[in-house]
Amino acid sequence: MLDKRRIYSVRWWNKKKLWVIVLFLSFFVFVRISKGSIYRDLYYFLSKPFWPGEFQQEILLKSYEQELYAKLTQLEKDNQRLRELLSLQRVTNEDRINASVISRQTSSWWNIVILNKGSRDGVEVGDIVVGPGGLIGIIDNISLLTSSVKLITSFDSQLGVWTQRGNIHGLLIGQGNESPLLTFYLKEIDVKVGDFVFSSPASTILPPNLPIGIIETVDKELGPAVVATVKLLADPQAIDWVQILKMRI
Amino acid sequence: MRIAPKINLSIASVLIIPIMIFWNPPFFSLMGVQPYWPLFWLLPWAIIYGSLDGFVAGLFLGLVLDAINNDFYTQIPGLVICGLWFGSLNDGKKNINKLKYGLLASLGTLICGIIYLLQIVLFGIHNEVSYLFSYAIKNIVSQFFLTGLLAPIFSSWLFLLFIKEKNQRYKSFHN
Repeated sequence: MLDKRRIYSVRWWNKKKLWVIVLFLSFFVFVRISKGSIYRDLYYFLSKPFWPGEFQQEILLKSYEQELYAKLTQLEKDNQRLRELLSLQRVTNEDRINASVISRQTSSWWNIVILNKGSRDGVEVGDIVVGPGGLIGIIDNISLLTSSVKLITSFDSQLGVWTQRGNIHGLLIGQGNESPLLTFYLKEIDVKVGDFVFSSPASTILPPNLPIGIIETVDKELGPAVVATVKLLADPQAIDWVQILKMRI
Repeated sequence: MRIAPKINLSIASVLIIPIMIFWNPPFFSLMGVQPYWPLFWLLPWAIIYGSLDGFVAGLFLGLVLDAINNDFYTQIPGLVICGLWFGSLNDGKKNINKLKYGLLASLGTLICGIIYLLQIVLFGIHNEVSYLFSYAIKNIVSQFFLTGLLAPIFSSWLFLLFIKEKNQRYKSFHN
């Protein structure tokens, strides 16, 4: 009985300590081969509660927005300076008049909006009206206290515009509804749905590169030239506050 | 002794039309389109005072509305035709059936709408008329129904006001 027990304990594979050493050794070999991936994965779970949360993400986004805004301001200033050097049309921040909409007709034959600023505030016929997003219309009539805006959606509105991607010029004609028609001068052009439409630098009525809308549909079969409908960035039906821009040449 | 000048409410009520157009109340609109407000006033006026007064009132309203909208196209022809037509219905009756107000106002709106559309098609800058027509039909049909629906209320009320004032003037003239 005693002999049997002795034999049992002497067998090397029955040594517990040995197995423990083998296990540790194989673990370290695994760690070496996997280049510490298990430690990194472990650290993932340990550090998870302390990761930068939503708050820090907001701070980052805000600083990114500020960076973009600063870049935009700098580019606008640069653009103003260059246009001034070339004696081209321009609008400065001092030439802006804030106004609110006091009457609105946007869904019938007549597409006009009346603002609460008139000749007393320095508004003149031909001034440009923009809302959050982009161009809305042009002042076509003023009184002492009010001014009437002819919307770019009205039947007798036509403006020179160009597309941002291909710099293709066209004529934006109001249709009475919320989607004016953009008629290009050529047939074989690269225009796609989603292209941004800006006021043309060649326009004598508008300041250059004023955002107007996004191309909604393109019809290349309708006539001799390509015709597209434009979804306006600034919706005249919903805007209550606008800015009147005065152009300088 | 009367100190304050007597206000002729029949004439003064015409001032409400431009205010309603500016106000553009959303609860009186169908698919964003307003009723054709001037016809509510023109219809009882022309029926009571006849074709000539209807013609003059139509001309006056057209001038005012063209001035308000600062429009390249004019509303005068439609309103003048409606004034003449409504005036020709003046057969000396005290009042007409309220449903007839709706029908007359609807037909008047249709005439004015079609004349306005014709101007856009003939004198406009539109090459693609197909895009224009879908919007124009929506406008005309909405205005047709809405004006017809509201005319029995507004026009009959104005009719009573006009006829009352006319009778008062008649009485004071003969006294």
